[in-house]
This record gives sequence, C-alpha cells and structure tokens, in this order.
Amino acid sequence: MNSVRKVRLLVGKVGLDGHDRGAKIIARALRDAGFEVVYTGLHQTPDMVVATAIQEDVDGIGLSLLSGAHNTIFPKLLRLLAEKNSADIVVFGGGIIPEEDVPGLRKAGVRMIFTPGTTTREVIDWVTANVPPRRR
Amino acid sequence: MQTAGCSLTAQQPINNVVRVTIQALAAVLGGTQSLHTNALDETLALPTEDSARIALRTQQIVAEESGVANSIDPLAGSYFVESLTDRLEQEAQATIRRIDQIGGIVPAIEQGFPQREIAEASYLYQKQVDDGDKIVVGVNRFTEGDTMKAPLLKIGPEVETGQVARLRSVRASRDRPRHARALEALHGVARTRENLMPAILEAVRSYASVGEICGTLEKVFGTYREGRVQL
Repeated sequence: MNSVRKVRLLVGKVGLDGHDRGAKIIARALRDAGFEVVYTGLHQTPDMVVATAIQEDVDGIGLSLLSGAHNTIFPKLLRLLAEKNSADIVVFGGGIIPEEDVPGLRKAGVRMIFTPGTTTREVIDWVTANVPPRRR
Repeated sequence: MQTAGCSLTAQQPINNVVRVTIQALAAVLGGTQSLHTNALDETLALPTEDSARIALRTQQIVAEESGVANSIDPLAGSYFVESLTDRLEQEAQATIRRIDQIGGIVPAIEQGFPQREIAEASYLYQKQVDDGDKIVVGVNRFTEGDTMKAPLLKIGPEVETGQVARLRSVRASRDRPRHARALEALHGVARTRENLMPAILEAVRSYASVGEICGTLEKVFGTYREGRVQL
C-alpha cells in the first residue's frame, strides 16, 4: 500500500474580480505536476472557500486576487480557517499585489505571495517544498 | 476592440506602451470601429491619470500622426493578410460547428466547452513562455535593466467609507414612495418580454442604487454561478 498520499490543493477566486486566466493556468500546472487540485470557479466568498477546503480536505489554499481586495480577503480567510480548527492548511496566493503589501500579508499568515512574472515551475517547486500532507 | 491585457508585463512596464501601440495599429489596419488601449501599468494596479492619458495619446498618435487613417483599408490586397483572414475564418467556422453540435452556446457554456478552450490556450501560451519557446521581452529574454518603475495608483480605504457615506445620504434624502414604485415596476417588467430600459431609467431617476437595480433583476433572472471547473 502506498502510504504517501497526494497533496490536495484548492485554487480559489474570491470577490468580484473576474480575471481567472492566471488561476486556471496555476491550477492546471499544479495538477499536471501531480497534485490533486480543486478550482472553485469565480465569485466565491471566504466562507465558501473555507467550506470547500474543509469538505475537500485540502492541504493548501492558493487564492488569486487581481481586485485590490487582498488586504481584506486574506486576513478574513485566515481567521475563518482558525475558527474551524484548520489553521494548518497552508495559505498562499498571487495576482496583482503591490510589493509593499507583501510583508503585511506574510505577517498575517499568508505563507507566500507570487507576483506577475512567476513561472509555473516556481509555484510547483514552492508548493512541493512547503505544503505537506496534513496529519489526520 | 481592446488591446490584450495578457500581453502586458509587470517587468519593465514602460515597454507596455510599445506593445499597446503595435496592437492599436493592428486594430486600425484591421478596420476596427472602436478601440480601447490598455494603460502601461495595468498589470500592477488600476491606471493612474498619467498612464491612462498615455493610452489615449497612443490612439491619437496612431490616428493623427501615423497616416494609417488616411486610407479606408491600407492593407487591402495583401496576400499574407488575406490568407491569415481566411485561416481565421475557417478555424472560427470549425469552432462554431462544434458549438452547434453541442446544441448552442448556452449548453456549451454549461458543459464548460468555451471555458476549457480558453483555459487550454492560455495554459499552452504560459508553457511556451516558461519554456522559453515564446519570447517575451523583459520576462524571459532581455531581462537586464528591470529598474524601470511605473508610479502606481493607490486607492485607500477612505474611498470606500466616502462612498458608503454618500450612499447613506442619498438613501435618506430620496423620494421613498417614488423609489419603491420604480423598483416594483422594474420587477414587473422583468417578468415580461418588454424593454427593461425605461423602467431602469425611472429607477435611476428615483435614485435607486446600481445594487438595488441589479438586486431587483436578480430576483427574476437569478445569478450565473460558475460551478466548480473541471480542468
């Protein structure tokens, strides 16, 4: 029996921003790299993302944000995860996020922010190194 | 016609002016009837006043200085352009036939066909960029000198609080019976096949918010929810 199970990931789009090209590319690249990936579709709320993450038993959540609402949405997501005893789910993200906002997001508990120009390989390598399967 | 957002780069962002110019010129050569040029900083933030003005000036230079607008169809008779047009037409026809086979565009969207086609094309594009098969200047080639920075627009939380305050004061001061009647009438028209526009205009004149108007229509039409997408 194979005791090492595949890492499960959720790629999410939250809020009104409809730019899903990047999220879909990343979801597809992670899937091709051997991860199990769920992509939520557009216009999710943080509550919906957390509910899906728990239901799908994921190890990591990657949010794509191009709306400028990252300073509101990431902290809300992290708070909801903590409330659901799921703070061990690794949260990362990407999109149009100014460099000066990155330290604040990192401090709030977002483990990594990928900005434009990141290759799919860099995301895959980071996830491989930093998102372990959760203990159950 | 809008220039391609996905062609813009966060690296060496001022180069985006050149990309937008080439695309704007291509659009005019293709006979476009309306043209939106992207601002150079759109991969980084909402455009500043200055970057939006450069996008406008780009159109004005193409229109007034380049001379392409002096002819109705400057590339008429070009073998190469005509052959590309024929190929595009053939491929578009093939895609339309596939959609017809599915049963039309609504079932096609419900089954995720166009979504998959778009996702597939963007994934292949990204793969080519990542592998260096497709050159993007400043991203995977000619990357030295990435010191150009574009000044970015910052939108602070005061914009939100200001807008909330404005909305509150409009709600407090508007003619409530007229507003209620207008939304009720809009709801009624939405359930028929009648033109919605006069009812929407009356709702606007009665100071209904965009949210209230959309919410009224949503009660009748519902909201499109993209389901979990199969990749």
